[in-house]
Amino acid sequence: MMIVVPAVCSFFFLNLMHEGLPLKVPVAIVDNDQSSMSRNVTRQLNAMELIDINEHLESYHEAMEKMRSGEIFGFFHIPEDFQKDAIGERHPTLSFYCNMTIFVPGTLSFKGFKTVAVGTAGDIVETQLVQAGLSDNLVSPLVQPLGVDTHPLNNPWTNYNYYLSNSFLPGLLALLMLTVTVFSICTEIKHGTSPQWLQTAGGHVSIALLGKLLPQTVIFSAVGVGLQAVLYGFLHFPLNNHAMHIIVAMVLFVMACQALAVAIVELVPNLRLSLSICSLFGILCFSVAGFSFPVDQMYGSVGIFAYIFPIRYYFLIYIDQALNGIPIYYSRFYYAALLAFLLLPALGLRRLRRHLENPVYVP
Amino acid sequence: MKLLNDIGRRLVTLFKVWRREFYLVFTDPGVLIFFFGLPLAYPVVYTLIYNPEIVENMPVVVVDNCRTPSSRELVRAIDATQALAVTGYAANLNEAREAWHTKKCYAIIEIPAGYDKNLNSLRQATITTYADMSLLLRYRAMLLALTDVQVDQTLSITQRRVSDLGLLAESVTDGQLPVESQSVIVGDETQGFASFVMPGIVVLILQQSMILGIAMLAGGRAERRRRNHGYDPMAVDASPVTTVIGRTLCYTLIYLPLAYYILHIIPEMFSLPHVTKFGEYMPFIFPLLIASAMLGQTVAVFITEREASLLVVVFTSLVFLFLSGLTWPRYAFNGFWLLISDCIPATWGVEGFIRMTSDGATPANVGYYYKMMWLLAGVYFITASIVAYYHRRLGRRSQA
Repeated sequence: MMIVVPAVCSFFFLNLMHEGLPLKVPVAIVDNDQSSMSRNVTRQLNAMELIDINEHLESYHEAMEKMRSGEIFGFFHIPEDFQKDAIGERHPTLSFYCNMTIFVPGTLSFKGFKTVAVGTAGDIVETQLVQAGLSDNLVSPLVQPLGVDTHPLNNPWTNYNYYLSNSFLPGLLALLMLTVTVFSICTEIKHGTSPQWLQTAGGHVSIALLGKLLPQTVIFSAVGVGLQAVLYGFLHFPLNNHAMHIIVAMVLFVMACQALAVAIVELVPNLRLSLSICSLFGILCFSVAGFSFPVDQMYGSVGIFAYIFPIRYYFLIYIDQALNGIPIYYSRFYYAALLAFLLLPALGLRRLRRHLENPVYVP
Repeated sequence: MKLLNDIGRRLVTLFKVWRREFYLVFTDPGVLIFFFGLPLAYPVVYTLIYNPEIVENMPVVVVDNCRTPSSRELVRAIDATQALAVTGYAANLNEAREAWHTKKCYAIIEIPAGYDKNLNSLRQATITTYADMSLLLRYRAMLLALTDVQVDQTLSITQRRVSDLGLLAESVTDGQLPVESQSVIVGDETQGFASFVMPGIVVLILQQSMILGIAMLAGGRAERRRRNHGYDPMAVDASPVTTVIGRTLCYTLIYLPLAYYILHIIPEMFSLPHVTKFGEYMPFIFPLLIASAMLGQTVAVFITEREASLLVVVFTSLVFLFLSGLTWPRYAFNGFWLLISDCIPATWGVEGFIRMTSDGATPANVGYYYKMMWLLAGVYFITASIVAYYHRRLGRRSQA
């Protein structure tokens, strides 16, 4: 379970999204003009890798129905007499409709449509201006006087898989670590074998815990580093700093998760309850740790909960050390925070010992 | 007469199964938490997390190498957007990078020294931006805001230039482009994050919490069987089909008010997109409840302990979320994952409900999803009956 679950989940995520971006968004074109100019627009749309025109429809209504039923994510509408009006200076309008209810395909189709629409308009202006006698080198700054040169740092392809796999897979691992740790301590209590366990450790709770959890630390660290090897080594996700930085972060992250689980057990030494707490909170961490929606934009009273999860610090270290590759100095507090989690179990050791000595199972 | 008696007897057994299941649900605090606590609390918690909806005033640092009125005007225009806030000027890129490293800004905008000169001499002026890519949402917000600024500036600059150039250019362009383009956003126009994920997530919560509760009930049955050598003293002696139908009736009845809460009250509370009508979304979601109940009773065969149910459902939740196509669209799946995602009722529920509630799709538009859910309900009804048959035989053999 400790190895199979992460392996299967990793395979699932990486295989599902191995293309990086869900290109070829299914869209439609409504060409009511059927002129050489409109066919040219269609060809340009067809040449884009962002979108895939799989329907040529007759009317706006038909396209809207298809969009509502989810068959297409957007459509491009060329009005009647488009060519005639464009040449005759009657300002026809090219319209495109994008369904933004599902973010990624909506945005991709928007980008594709916009490029073609603006490009077409620009081309026609240029031709007309040149025909009117303006010199060539005057025309293009007239059409586009302000350029914006955008550099998406360290992920110029806006690869979507980078975001999801780098955050959700460690998150799943955290969920697994929390539940397995809780499970292995609490089954001792459930089956009433905890006094025996304590006895083996010479009556020291800390030794008992270390003996039980250290082998798991080794296995989980191996799984975690193995996952990193797949991501950064095999799939070449961005890793712009020394690999040791992120490996150390993973090992600390594993131990922090175990420590958090032990602390939860100390608080609620009941198998089902602490397991429920771990799962319910573990599931929430995917949202509140700010993998997709930034923590600083959440309500302050909600965003603050991001910092009770070790995954938040691992995620920040990943951004600094793997994605952006900035000096480790800037991430010092995140490493320290992961270390601080290790102190958490010390608070309730005495309470845990009491429960281990007198195991009570409440079904 | 005999036939009538037979039907009557079956109905009585059905009622007994149904009544017993109700008793089991309402006497088990664990199940009550999953059946009621989870669907009632989780949508609220999730919406609270995402409710700010959009990225606002993302800190940006400007390196202005031009330092002229026109470059300052550009900076003011950037600062005035909803998404971006210029938090400071940096003397050079190094200083700006330091601000980025310490997370004081998430984007750097560099205005070149010749910006003003280029603008005034009919050349193209270019500004350079460096965007932090740690979150796609931030990048997207920045890109959209900068595009808006670019379009606005282009318009005013072009108008100025055209009037400078004189009549010749004006006669061609009228100060505007000969072909215009217009974009229409269908669905949520503000493109808020909560409005995007919540309609999908709530449907998934309906399915997962129901399966979780059913799996926990099944875990309880398995534990009772273990204690009693394979016989469950709480089981009603009924045919597998009657058992499955009786239990499904119980679960569905419990979930109908919850579905109303999740699909209507939650969107109303947080003003999420909600353009569908009671008479449309309730019938649509009905097969999802049936299919989930049947799926839960099928999964029961793997559950041997009450605690195990939790793990199964927690780990599948995340996978199901991705399989539903909410984050990674289904058209980009390969055949294998497509097939698996087809087998999950929530895939169709999520897709259909989003279309109805955000895009205003009619029941006819989402008819395909609706039929697929009934199909799954049928398939899982058969598998659930097989599981019930198997469990009943276990009990009989132990008594014999």
